[in-house]
Amino acid sequence: MAAPELAQTEPEGIEGVRMTWLNWPRSKVEASKCVIPIAASIQPIRPHVDLQILPYAPLRCKTCSAVLNPFCRVDFNALIWICPFCFQRNQFPHYYSSISETNVPAELYPNFPSVEYSIQNPQDFNPAAAPSPIFLFVLDTCMIEEELEFAKSALKRAIGMLPENAMVGFVSYGTQVQVHELGFSEMSKVYVFRGSKDITKDQVLEQLGLAVPGNRRPGPGMQKSGGGPSPVAGAGPNTGINRFLLPASECDYTLDSLLDELVTDQWPIAPGNRALRCTGVALSVATGLLGASTSGAGARIILLVGGPCTEGPGSIVSKDLSDPVRSHKDLDKDAAPFFKKAVHFYDELGKQLVSQGHVLDVFASALDQVGIAEMKIAIEKTGGLVVLAESFGHSVFKDSFKRIFEVGEQSLGLAFNGTLEINCSKDIKVQGIIGPCTSLEKKGPAVANTVIGQGNTTAWKMCGLDRSTCLTVFFDISSSEKSDPAGSSQLYVQFLTSYQSSDGQMRLRVTTVARSWVAGSEDLVQGFDQEVAAVVMARLASYKMEMEEGFDATRWLDRNLIRLCSKFGEYHKDDPASFTLNPCFSLFPQFMFNLRRSQFVQVFNNSPDETAYFRILLNRESISNAVVMIQPSLISYAFNSLPAPALLDVLSIAPDRILLLDSYFSVVIFHGMSIAQWRNMGCQNQPEHEAFAMLLQAPQEDAQLIIRDRFPVPRLVVCDQHGSQARFLLAKLNPSATYNTAQETMQTGSDVIFTDDVSLQVFIDHLQRLAVQGS
Amino acid sequence: MATPGGPRPGNFPPNFNPNSLANNMQNLQINQPNQQQPNNAGGSAPRPPPNATPFGQQAPPFAGNRPGPPPPGVFPRAPGPPNVPSQTSLPPNMVSSRPTGPPPGSQPPPFSSRPPPPGAMPSSIGRPVAPTPPAPGPRPGSYPSSPLTSAPSTPSHASASGPVSNGPPTFAPGMTQSGSSFPPAMGGMPRPLVGPPQPPAMLSSRPSSQPPQMRPTFGAPPTAVSSASGQPAPPFSGPPRNMMPPMGSSPFSAPNTGMHQSMNSPYGMQTWPAQPQQVTPPPPIPGSMQQPPRMFGLPPGGQSLPNQSMALNQTGQSKIDPNQIPRLSQSGSVIVHETRQGNQANPPPPATSDYIVKDTGNCSPRYMRCTINQVPLTVDLLSTSGMQLSLLVQPLALPHPSEEPIHVVDFGESGPVRCSRCKGYINPFVKFIDQGRRFICNLCGFTDETPRDYHCNLGPDGRRRDADERPELCRGTVEFIASKEYMVRDPMPAVFFFLIDVSMNATQTGATAAACSAIKQVIADLPKGPRTMVGIATFDSTIHFYNLKRASQQPLMLIVPDVQDVYTPLESDVIVQFSECSEHLEMLLDTIPTMFESNRIADSALGAAVKAAFLAMKSTGGKLLVFQSVLPSAGIGSLSAREAEGRSNMSAGEKVLMLHIFALSGLILSDKTLKTMAIEFAEYQVCVDLFITSQMYVDIASLSVIPTTTGGQVYYYYPFSARSDPAKLYNDLRWNVTRPQGFEAVMRVRCSQGIQVQEYSGNFCKRIPTDVDLPAIDCDKTIMVSLKHDDKLQEGSECAFQCALLYTTVYGQRRIRVSTLSLPCTNMLSNLFRSADLDTQFACITKQAAIEIPSAPLAQVRDQATNVCINILYSYRKFCATVSSAGQLILPEALKMLPLYTLALLKSTGLRPDGRIDDRSVWINYVSPLPTPLVIPLVYPRMIALHDLNEKELDDSIIPVPIPLSSEHIATEGIYLLENGVDCLIYLGDNVQPNILQQMFGISSLEDIPNQFILQQYDNPLSKKLNDIVNEIRRQRCSYLRLRLCKKGDPSGMTFFSYLIEDKTANGLSYVEYLIHIHRQIQSKMA
Repeated sequence: MAAPELAQTEPEGIEGVRMTWLNWPRSKVEASKCVIPIAASIQPIRPHVDLQILPYAPLRCKTCSAVLNPFCRVDFNALIWICPFCFQRNQFPHYYSSISETNVPAELYPNFPSVEYSIQNPQDFNPAAAPSPIFLFVLDTCMIEEELEFAKSALKRAIGMLPENAMVGFVSYGTQVQVHELGFSEMSKVYVFRGSKDITKDQVLEQLGLAVPGNRRPGPGMQKSGGGPSPVAGAGPNTGINRFLLPASECDYTLDSLLDELVTDQWPIAPGNRALRCTGVALSVATGLLGASTSGAGARIILLVGGPCTEGPGSIVSKDLSDPVRSHKDLDKDAAPFFKKAVHFYDELGKQLVSQGHVLDVFASALDQVGIAEMKIAIEKTGGLVVLAESFGHSVFKDSFKRIFEVGEQSLGLAFNGTLEINCSKDIKVQGIIGPCTSLEKKGPAVANTVIGQGNTTAWKMCGLDRSTCLTVFFDISSSEKSDPAGSSQLYVQFLTSYQSSDGQMRLRVTTVARSWVAGSEDLVQGFDQEVAAVVMARLASYKMEMEEGFDATRWLDRNLIRLCSKFGEYHKDDPASFTLNPCFSLFPQFMFNLRRSQFVQVFNNSPDETAYFRILLNRESISNAVVMIQPSLISYAFNSLPAPALLDVLSIAPDRILLLDSYFSVVIFHGMSIAQWRNMGCQNQPEHEAFAMLLQAPQEDAQLIIRDRFPVPRLVVCDQHGSQARFLLAKLNPSATYNTAQETMQTGSDVIFTDDVSLQVFIDHLQRLAVQGS
Repeated sequence: MATPGGPRPGNFPPNFNPNSLANNMQNLQINQPNQQQPNNAGGSAPRPPPNATPFGQQAPPFAGNRPGPPPPGVFPRAPGPPNVPSQTSLPPNMVSSRPTGPPPGSQPPPFSSRPPPPGAMPSSIGRPVAPTPPAPGPRPGSYPSSPLTSAPSTPSHASASGPVSNGPPTFAPGMTQSGSSFPPAMGGMPRPLVGPPQPPAMLSSRPSSQPPQMRPTFGAPPTAVSSASGQPAPPFSGPPRNMMPPMGSSPFSAPNTGMHQSMNSPYGMQTWPAQPQQVTPPPPIPGSMQQPPRMFGLPPGGQSLPNQSMALNQTGQSKIDPNQIPRLSQSGSVIVHETRQGNQANPPPPATSDYIVKDTGNCSPRYMRCTINQVPLTVDLLSTSGMQLSLLVQPLALPHPSEEPIHVVDFGESGPVRCSRCKGYINPFVKFIDQGRRFICNLCGFTDETPRDYHCNLGPDGRRRDADERPELCRGTVEFIASKEYMVRDPMPAVFFFLIDVSMNATQTGATAAACSAIKQVIADLPKGPRTMVGIATFDSTIHFYNLKRASQQPLMLIVPDVQDVYTPLESDVIVQFSECSEHLEMLLDTIPTMFESNRIADSALGAAVKAAFLAMKSTGGKLLVFQSVLPSAGIGSLSAREAEGRSNMSAGEKVLMLHIFALSGLILSDKTLKTMAIEFAEYQVCVDLFITSQMYVDIASLSVIPTTTGGQVYYYYPFSARSDPAKLYNDLRWNVTRPQGFEAVMRVRCSQGIQVQEYSGNFCKRIPTDVDLPAIDCDKTIMVSLKHDDKLQEGSECAFQCALLYTTVYGQRRIRVSTLSLPCTNMLSNLFRSADLDTQFACITKQAAIEIPSAPLAQVRDQATNVCINILYSYRKFCATVSSAGQLILPEALKMLPLYTLALLKSTGLRPDGRIDDRSVWINYVSPLPTPLVIPLVYPRMIALHDLNEKELDDSIIPVPIPLSSEHIATEGIYLLENGVDCLIYLGDNVQPNILQQMFGISSLEDIPNQFILQQYDNPLSKKLNDIVNEIRRQRCSYLRLRLCKKGDPSGMTFFSYLIEDKTANGLSYVEYLIHIHRQIQSKMA
C-alpha cells in the first residue's frame, strides 16, 4: 500500500514506516514462530515531498480518538465515518458537509497515509509570537587552553547562526558551575554553584532569585499563568528568567566578549589527579534554570564536555588518575563503583528534563571517556543529540556542531515537545519503543504485558526530535485463532505525532498504515524486510545487552538466525548442501555475521562511552543508516571502470584500487599500494596522468557527499595499504584471508587480516549445518 | 586624669584663670621667652618641621628601629608616604594648602638622629636641677591639673591649618593640614608634638629655667602647696604628712622630680605652645591643691603624704562642697620617664598623661603596665589590699615620636637566646654567672649554658661587658627576628578583604556608598608592595565576589547564591595582589553603589558572606573588613530581631529586665554557629572587623563574637547618617588599615616564679590557656592579663613579667617582640597603695565589668564595681590610715579618683540599667581591647567650654581647661563640648549669643540646629579655634568622633546631660551622694 512508486528509492515512503514483516501472522504462536519480532521502524516527522499540510484541526473518533484517515469507511450521504480501530460511527461536523466521493478532503486520500495538520492557521501564524526556542549552552572549562579555544570559537559561530528570536543562556563549569547572567549590563555577572553538592530545581530557582518569595513571583504559578509564548513576556527588567536567557540578537555581543574572557578552570589540580569537573551539577543547574522558563517553550541544553565528571553527583570516576575510567570489563564485574549512582543521577535528571519538555544534547570531545554511558539514559529519554569526538578542533565535532544550527536544506529540522501516540487494531498490542523517547505511562487496551524499551503505554514523549529521528515499535499479537471470519484481513496502525516544529508551529503528523493478516508462511516470507529485521535484531540485542544481566548476544543472535533459517529455509533434513534460502532472506545471514562482529555486539573493543554512543545512534537513525552501521558499504574505484560496490571482504583489496568504506561513524578512503606510490610520486599533478588525478578525486568527492548529509559528521580517514590507519578498513572486512589461510589464497597485492575470527564462508557453512539438523 | 592630685580645674579660686596662672608661671620662669619663641616660631621658619611631624610621626617609631641603617621599616607605616597619598585624595583646596608642610621625606632624618639626644639630655640635665626645684614643687601629682589639659596639643597645627576647613565630606583636610592628619595623626597622637627634634640648645637651657614641676603622681610631698597659694589648706583632713614615708624614702619621689624637669625641658620646648603651660603647672597646682583641702578640712600637711589625698568629712554631708571633692584633672605637660633608675623600677606616669619613655631596662609602660608597681610578696597581702594584680599589655602600642625606636635584634639561624626550661627570652634581668658562661633565668630561676657564640666576659660590676651594646641586655623591649623554627609556613602576605552589605537598606541609607567611597580612598594607603593582597565582595541575600584579575576591562562578578552552605567561587583571583588590580578595584568601588542602587532585596546574609570571604582567605589569612547595615536575616548565622520581640507591652522596669535577659541570651544563646565560625577564622589567621552602619537593631551582642574572637573590633555608626558619618567611616577604616599592626600572632606572658598568669582577656581566640592567638594585632589592642600567686615571693627580689609577641609584619617579616618588666616585691601594704596605678586599676575594673555583663545580672555587676571601690578604700582606711576623725573619708592619694571613676562607670553606657542592647553590646566590645589611656575618658568624659574661646588667650594650648561634669557648670549662655573618645557632643545653652552661633556653626538660632551636624570651618577665629580643638581631640583619641549638636529640651540634650556624671540622675547618685554612700559602707565595715 505504501506509495509503491517511491519504494525503490525510499523504502519508507510517505509513511516513514518500515516493518520487519509486511504481513502479520494471525496469532501469537505464529508470531513467535517467525523468530524476528513484529516491529515497525517509524520516522515520525520524516519530510516528504508529497506530504500534505492541512491548515485545520483533525477529526477524531469519539471513543478511541483516532484521527480520520484514508482507511475509514465513509458514508458520504449520511456524513458519517467509521473508525477502523474501534468501529465507532462518527458524524462529520457541519463544515465537512460539502464532502462527497468526488470531493474528499486530503486526509481521506488513499495516497496520503500520512498527512500533517497545522494546528495554528498558517495565515495567523506569526513567527514572532511563536515560542522561541531556547539554547542553553553548558561549557566545560576543565580542558587545555587549545581545546577551550576550539570550543569557544565553535560556540561563537553557533551563536552567530542562531535565529534572532532564539533565547540563549550560558553556563560554564569546572570545579564549580557558573551561570552567566547575560542581562546584567553593568559588568559580567555569574552565579556560582558548588560542584560537589547536588541541587534541586527549587534550590536552583531560589538561589538564582527566580523564585524568591519576596519577589512575589511564585515559580510554578508564574509558569502556568505565563501564557505568553516568550519567556520574556511580562518579566520585569531585573527579575525572572530573562536575566539569564536573552534573545540571540540582544546578547550576541555580550556572549562574544564573555567567551573571549573565559579561561580554563582556575581551580588547581593536584598532581596525579584529574581536574575536578562537576558535569552532573552543571546539568542539574541548567535543568533547574530552564525550569523557570515558560512551559511549552522548546529548550535544549547543549553540553560541551571535555572530560569525565569527577566532582559531585554524576561522577563517573575518582579524582585519582591512577584509577582508570570504568571499562566494559569493570561493568561486567561490577567493579565500577560510580556507575550505578551516576546512572541513577542522570536518570533522575532525564525525568526532570522530560517533565519540563527539554532536551539534553551532549558534545563530548576527549581522548578518554566522559561518561556518555551514564548520560545515555538522559540523552535518549529527552531525544537529545550526542556527538563523540576526540577534540573540539576535529571536524567531527566542528561540523556536527554547526549542523544543528543550520537552516534550510542542511537543517536537521530540530523540533521540540513531540508526543507520539499509537492507535492500533484490536488484537495488536504495543510492547514498547526502543529509541529516543520516554513512556508517558498512558495505559490502555493496546498495552502489551511484556515490555520492550519504553513501554506500558500508548503515548510517548519526545522532547527533541528531528527529521531523521527513528523509533522502533515492538508489537505483540494478542489474539489466539479466534479472529472473526468476516475477518477484516486488514490491520491498521495509526501513529499520531504532535510536535513543535523548528519554526515554532504546532503540528500533528498522522500516519495510518494498513497491513494484512496472513496465515501462510508464504505470505510472511514475501513480506519480510531483511534490512529492517537486521536493524531490529541489532537494536533488540543491544537493548538486551544493557538490560539483561549476563546476556550473551552472540549466542542469542546465532540461535535466532538458526531458528529463522530452519523455519524459512528450504532444505533436506541433515543435508547442509541442500540448504537454500528465499531471496527475501538471502542477505540476512550476512547481516547477522557482520552484526556479530560489529561494535554493537563485540563491545570489548570499545569503551562503554563509545558503545553507548554507537547504540544511541543505532537506535535513533533511519533503517538505511543503521544498516550501514551494521554492515558497512564498500565501493571500489579503479581505472577503466565505474565505481562499483565491492564485497566487504579482504579480497577486495588490490594495489591499484581505491576503496571507499562507509561504516557510518567513519568513512575510510583506502589507497592500494600502487595507488599510494603513484600518488606519493605526484603523478596526479602531471598532465598525462589526468585520469589518475580523477581517480584519486572520485572517492574524495563521494566521501564528502556522505559526510555532508550525515549527522553526526563521520570521521574521514584517508589511508594507504599497510599504513597504520588501514586498520579502520581491515577491521570491517570479512577475514576470508588471514594468516591461517594466507599461504593458500594469497594473491599478489592482496592483504591478510590478522585475526582468529571466522570468515563469512565458515559462518555460513556452520549455519547451514545447524539449520538443517534442528527440527 | 593623669594626676591623682586632688586639684581639678574647677578648683581654682573663683578668679582663677588658667591663663593668668600660666602667666604667672612664665614670670617666674627664666626661660619663658625661649618657650614663647618656639611657639611663635611655629608659624614661621622653625615650624615646618612640626607641621611635617604628623606625617612623619608614624615613621619614627617603626622605621629605623635597628641601630644600623634603618630597615625598611618594621612597621607598615612608611614614614612619609602613607600620609601623602591620603592627602592627595583630599579635596583640592587642601592640597593647595599642603605645601607649607615640609616634604615628608625630610622627616625621617630628624628622627633617626634623634634617639641619642633626647635620651641623654633628660638625664643629665634633669638630675641636677631636681634637687632644688625653684618652686617647691607644689603637689606631686598635680602638675597637669588645671589648665594644662591641652598641653600635648600641637601648636603647629593651628598655625598651619589656618585656611583649611573641615569639609563635610572629608574631614580630613583640616586635620591633615594642621599636621594632625586625622587618622594618620592619631596614630601618633603624642607624636606630632615631639615631631621634629628639638634643637638641643633649647633643651639645655630649659632645664634650668623650668622649675618645676610636674611630677608624677607619686610625686613628692605637697608640703609646698599651702605656701604656694595663699589659700588655706585645711579642707583635707587627711593623715598628717608625717605618716607617710618621708619623701626621700619613697623611691619615687626623688627620681620623679628629676624626671620631670628633664622632661619638661626637652619636651615642652619650643615646639609646642603647650609648653608654656607645662611650665605653668606648678603654680596652678598649688592653688588647686589648696582648694580641696579647704573643703574637706584636710590639714595641708596631710597632703604631703603621697598616699593619702583627702578625707571626706562624712558627718556633715551638708557641709560638703561639691567643688572640693576630688576630680579629674588633665595633665598637660610632657613627662620624660625612665623606666628604671638606680637599678630600680621607676613607677610609670599616669597612662593618660603625656610622656616620653626612655627604656632603661624595663619596658615602656605603653607596652605593659601593672595595676600595682610593687608586687606583694604573698597572696594574703594582695587580697588584704582589695586591689587586683593584673597587667595591661599593649604589645604594639604607638610609641611617642621622641622615643627611641625599638631595637631589632637578629640572632641569625639559631634564633634568640632563651631559657631552656621556661622558654623565656633573654632580657636585661637575666643574670650571667661563671664568667658569663652560664646565666640564670630571671623568670624560672633555671641555670643555662650561654651559647658559645653569645659568650662574653663579665665586668667588675657583674654585668656582661657588652651589656650596654646589646639591646636585649639593656632594653626592656626588643624585637627579635624570628628564625625558621618560629614559622609553620612562610610569613603570610598582608591580605585585606572588604565585604560590603548592598541589601536594600544599606543602599538606601547610603551606607553602601559610604563604605565604597571610604574603601576607595583608603586603598591608596594600603601597604605597598607585592605582599599586599586585596579582595572585595558584596552581599545581600547572596554573596557577590569580584574577580579583579582579568585581562579585560571589566571585573567579573561571581555570585554565591547558596547561603546555607557557602563556598568560595574561585580558588584564586578573588584575592589579588593589590598592585595588579588597583584600577579595577577603584572602578568597581565606583560602580557598586549605582549597580545596587535599586536593589530590592532586603535580606542580608552576613554570616554566610563572612564565611564565604573566609573561605576565600583561608589559605593565607588576613584582615576581613565587613560593612553591615541590617540584622542578618538569611543564610547561616542569621539572627532574629530579639529586641523587637521584647518590646511589646512592658513596663519600663520589665523592659529593662527583659532587655538584659536578651542581652544575656545574645551572647550565650545566640549563635553557636557564629562562635564556631569565629574560632575557625582565628585558626586560619583571619581577623574580622565589623563596621555597623545601621539605623536599626542588629544584635551586636551576637555578631560581635566574630571580631572579638578573631582579634578585630566593632565599629558602630548608629543611627547611621549618610551625611555626617562617611567621614568618620573613612577615618576609622583608614586608621584600621594603616596603623601599625601584625598578623598571625601568638602572645604569651611569662612571670617570675611565684606568680602565674590566671587569665588573659581581650579580643583574641583562646585555644590553649597559656597562649593568646591573635589573627591580627594592632597598636590599639590591649590585653588584660590577670595574675595570681602560686607561691610566696622572695623578700628583696624583683618579680619579672615578660610578654612575648610572635607576629608577622605587614611586610612579611616574622618578629618576636619581647617586653620585660621587672618590679620590686614588697611586704608592706602601704607600699602597695602608694604604688597603685589608678588608671590601670580602673581600666581593669572596667574591663572586668564588661566581661561580666553578658553572663551576670546587671545589678550584680554594678554592685561588684562599687564593692571593689569600697574594699580598697576600706583596706586603706583600716590598715594604713591614721584617722583623726571617724567621720572622715580617707582616700589614698594614688587612688583618690577611684570613687568618681566608679560612679562614672556605673553611669556608663555599659552599666546603665536602661538603654539599647546594641549600645551596651558595643560598649562591651569597645572596652574589651581598649588601651588604658582611652578607658578613662570613655567612662569619665572631658568637657570644655567653647563659648568663651575668644576671651581666653589660648595660644599655648589648643584645648581649654576641662570643667567638671556637673550641670552646675553649665551656663545657659554657654556652649560646651563633651567628648569621650567616641562621641563628641556640643551643647548649646538656651541663651547662647546668636553671633557666636553664627560664627561657629553658621546658624542663626537654636531652631536651626541640624540633626546631622558637620563641623565646618568658617572664616572667623572662633570657628577656627573650634576646628582646632576638635582636630586636636581627634588626634589625641585616635578617633574621629561623632559630632552632635545638643540643646535643651531635645533628646540630644538629654543625652548630653546623661554624661554629666556628677549630677544626680534617674540612673544614679550624685558624686557627693556617692561619696557619702561609700563612706557609710566603709564605716559599717569598720564597725
